[in-house]
Amino acid sequence: MRAKSIVNEGREIRLASELVRLGARLQLLEAEINLSREKLLRLYKEVKGESPPKGMLPFSTDWFMTWQPNIHASLFMGFHRFLSKNTRARGLDAIVRAYRLYLEHVELNDLESVMSLTRAWTLVRFYEARMLQLARCRRCGGKFVAHAYDLTDNYVCGLCHVPARAGKVRRAVKTVVTAIV
Amino acid sequence: MTNAEITNEVRDINLAYMMLAQQMLREDREAAVFRLGVSEEIADVIERLTPGQVLRMASSNMLLCCFRFDDRLLVDLLSDHRCDSGISRLHAAILAADKPVETLS
Repeated sequence: MRAKSIVNEGREIRLASELVRLGARLQLLEAEINLSREKLLRLYKEVKGESPPKGMLPFSTDWFMTWQPNIHASLFMGFHRFLSKNTRARGLDAIVRAYRLYLEHVELNDLESVMSLTRAWTLVRFYEARMLQLARCRRCGGKFVAHAYDLTDNYVCGLCHVPARAGKVRRAVKTVVTAIV
Repeated sequence: MTNAEITNEVRDINLAYMMLAQQMLREDREAAVFRLGVSEEIADVIERLTPGQVLRMASSNMLLCCFRFDDRLLVDLLSDHRCDSGISRLHAAILAADKPVETLS
């Protein structure tokens, strides 16, 4: 059902522009916001100053398994679970609030924000569709994102057992660039 | 530090804590529940206290806020300066988010 009330439409527009500012893609808006596609498209262009990226959303759960995305995804899921357990925030509201906490943590600690809002939203959808699960690390007891149906009895997280050269990719690229310059 | 000085400091911290908690809860309730680590129930109680009640609660010889993380590994990670601090704080945040909140009994 399309929102007929102007007040409701105003509320949806405000929510949509906030989502766009946080990095939502058009598909997320179409799924969550009760406005026509044309309006969302115009809104996106107005807020971002460019056309939305074309193509499908990433649909593979594998992205969440490589080292850096996995710990960032696990951090986001930690915030999301905390809010779902301890507050009344649900659905998109909980995702956006958890995402803001995630961004805050990343900024405070000078890390790169590896997860976009669209990734976070996809992550929650994968989790709710039981394509992903949270596995408890045998050493630290923290919960980390893992494939559903993976055997997790002896799971050790990527932070207790950091693989060699984990997270070094980007820095290596930078040094190569400076070497060439 | 004399006893009188200590109780004065405790009262100041209590007052600052209660006022900050109220302000945080009024501005963004969900984020405040996360930052304070208290249940919705306790959040309700704190939010509804009048200034007079806050003053009375603060004037005690006991601290109202208590040490939040009773986890050896978590404390180590949070206070660790040696290795990559960004990563150990990320690890700490993942563990901390999984901790239960303070609840009313």
